[in-house]
Amino acid sequence: MPPLLDDAYTLAKWLSQSPTDAEDIVQDAALRALQALSRVTVDRPKPWFLAIVRNAAMTFMARNRRKTVAYAGDMADLDALDLRQGDDDAAPNPEQALIAMQDGERLRQAIASLPSPFLETLVMRDVNGLSYREIAEATEAPVGTVMSRLARARASLAKTLRAEP
Amino acid sequence: MTDRDMSDRLLKLNAALDGELDAMASLAFERELRDDRALAAEYRRLVALRDAVRHHAPREAAPQALADRIAALAPPPQAAAPTATVVPLRRRAWLDRRALALAASFAVLGFAVGAGLTALRTPSGSSEVAQRLVSDFARAEIAGQPFDVASSDRHTVKPWLADRTTVSASIVDLAPEGFPLVGGRVAIVDRVPAPTLVYRHNEHVVAVTELPLGAENARAAGAIETIDGYHVARWADANLAYVAVSDMDEKTLGEFVEAFRRGGGPATEPARP
Repeated sequence: MPPLLDDAYTLAKWLSQSPTDAEDIVQDAALRALQALSRVTVDRPKPWFLAIVRNAAMTFMARNRRKTVAYAGDMADLDALDLRQGDDDAAPNPEQALIAMQDGERLRQAIASLPSPFLETLVMRDVNGLSYREIAEATEAPVGTVMSRLARARASLAKTLRAEP
Repeated sequence: MTDRDMSDRLLKLNAALDGELDAMASLAFERELRDDRALAAEYRRLVALRDAVRHHAPREAAPQALADRIAALAPPPQAAAPTATVVPLRRRAWLDRRALALAASFAVLGFAVGAGLTALRTPSGSSEVAQRLVSDFARAEIAGQPFDVASSDRHTVKPWLADRTTVSASIVDLAPEGFPLVGGRVAIVDRVPAPTLVYRHNEHVVAVTELPLGAENARAAGAIETIDGYHVARWADANLAYVAVSDMDEKTLGEFVEAFRRGGGPATEPARP
């Protein structure tokens, strides 16, 4: 199976949280990509195509769900998220953290409930394996923003997983 | 610790985890990890989290039906007639013949690996070489280390390169033309080390990689291309193919290439073993 298509499908599925929507999104993205291919030369297919998938997902969500993907770049309301992890509340006990992580379903839920700018950054990094620079390109955000979104996404995941029993 | 330090610390931990620190920063970070147990514990937690994410949220295989539908977006090249209209999406006017051909290869390649798409637009393998050399160049620039041996003396650079590569480099002295040699490095092209000369012009750098004269490398001098924002010139002489990558403007690169080619040819001995 061609890996790029898998990457695209996985990203779309995380963004839309629906396997069937993910298929529509990827198909739409493929059409857009084919259209674009007649005009541009593509140097790095993966970030290029995932950027199209991401945009297709945005369009799809905006059209079909009205609300869920409301914001993409507004950091103001995200600052409420506690950046700090560790120091005071969490006893630095990696084993415990590791055990908590064994619960895959809870982890997947925690990922799915991340606000979309965090979600897409995390998925592009840890699932699709894009570099910071490539994520910045694909999400049209500065590298610094990518870095802080990723750090926040992970901090938030760790916190969610710690908070639950 | 202020909020700013705190978040810088966290950003650094994440960047280290993602392999996004440069060599010097990695070194410093490794030392910090050794000396700071709290930092090390935090880092281990992050590693555990990242591994858990990878394990529990892996890349999923796209359903075969989706792959089939995408492959059907265009008919295979042989059957050019638009027979594959199973697609439940409107055909668009822009799907003209050319787009169809591209689409076909796109689909046949099945969103193929890596450079597949690049190859679509530029079927000659030499462009991939250029692309790789551009990445090389960009990486060297970003790392602030455009060469592995720093010397303006071609009699130093040449033996250094000769020890490490199988192509005997022609080194041209272009200092009088305003392009002093600053060093050399080795680029890996198709798993073979290729000598690369680095020249400077004001604050700009041009890296010339010399390749054996394979079929895919044998290209007459053409227009200067732009790849990822860098200018790339390619030419060949009787012995070698050359790819010059630079952050100089097109015109200056053109002058450089002209000087290099004219440059009395190889200014040392003829570049044949």
